[in-house]
Amino acid sequence: MKTSKSNPWIFCAAAVTIAVALSGGLAGQTAAVKSSAGSNGSGTQWSVQVERIDPGNLDLAHSFQVAIYENLLEELNKTKQFKYVLREGDSKASEIPDLLILKTMVVKYTPGSETQRAVTTVSGATKLTVRTQLIARDGKIVLESTVNGNVRFFGSNLRATHNLARNIAKMIKESPWLGSERLARYSPVNSDCGRHTSSGF
Amino acid sequence: MYRLFVSRNDNSGCFGGHALIILWAVLCCFGIGALAQSTSPALNANAPFSTRATHRLGFRNIKNNCKGILSIHNNELQFQQTGKPVAEVDIASVRRVFLGEESMQVGGMPMKIGKAAAPYGGGRVVSLFAHKKYDTLTLEYVDSNGGVHGAIFQVTKGQAELVRNEIVARDVYSGSGEGQATKQRTLEVTHEDK
Repeated sequence: MKTSKSNPWIFCAAAVTIAVALSGGLAGQTAAVKSSAGSNGSGTQWSVQVERIDPGNLDLAHSFQVAIYENLLEELNKTKQFKYVLREGDSKASEIPDLLILKTMVVKYTPGSETQRAVTTVSGATKLTVRTQLIARDGKIVLESTVNGNVRFFGSNLRATHNLARNIAKMIKESPWLGSERLARYSPVNSDCGRHTSSGF
Repeated sequence: MYRLFVSRNDNSGCFGGHALIILWAVLCCFGIGALAQSTSPALNANAPFSTRATHRLGFRNIKNNCKGILSIHNNELQFQQTGKPVAEVDIASVRRVFLGEESMQVGGMPMKIGKAAAPYGGGRVVSLFAHKKYDTLTLEYVDSNGGVHGAIFQVTKGQAELVRNEIVARDVYSGSGEGQATKQRTLEVTHEDK
């Protein structure tokens, strides 16, 4: 009698254990799938060297240029799509065979005001639009895109640079070259049609 | 009043002498002031300099938007949060320094929540007055591999220029490789209202 009473509990415990083990296995599988998707299809893992921001003809504050540059390095590192993320002028770049260069040029800049945003809500947004290019060693453009980064409601003006860098990293991560052989053949991918915009709270 | 007037009249002979003494004293004061002004640019290259600052971004091993002390000691630009290790950069590696100006809302997140909760748009009125101007100090420096780094600090209004002057003075005195000529050429001062 005693054993027959405890049997359902044992079954329950066994079922839970099996379910947990299976879910763990599934999670492991999805993680494995994700990690394999992270490396590009051509088998080579590329590195990227980020160049300093080109302000073009715009009067963009130096703090903004530096902030975009630093945030880009940080966000590109976070994507884990590149073997190395190098800075401009880094001497190690010459030793790395599969290197892409990320060029960023500011196309449009609307200076905003944090106070204006706080008072009016609808005005005072800081807006940045940049043109980014991933360029191979031989000068061919691998990826080109126009990306926006704004801060509309909350946060300081420099937050626009963070949003911009995040959008650039997202664009690169989601771009088709990662999963295809395109990069190996250097056929340019123009993702202008899908502008990456962030509401930038 | 009358007694004073009388006494002045009584000593009218010495009044010119008093005026001369006062004039001499005033001139001495101005002279000392001028002397102090003329000696202030000659910074002592080894004297430590420090100011309170907020690290916006860029320094290694330091979190963004954290407060601390920005100091210059032994030709190193250091930033230290209380109770945390010092992050430092050799002044000789600093390539460019830019100054800027920024107006920011004060009070941080608690203030924002308070303003959002205030009825009848009272928070907006508070926002009109709850802002403060800061100086931003933007540095570009290179690491041992030659990689370009950037760092942004936010300091009290008027302090950024002092820090820049200190950096320039130290670099000149340290006699680093490209030191004086390059630094003087590339050092730019900008005032940006944001």
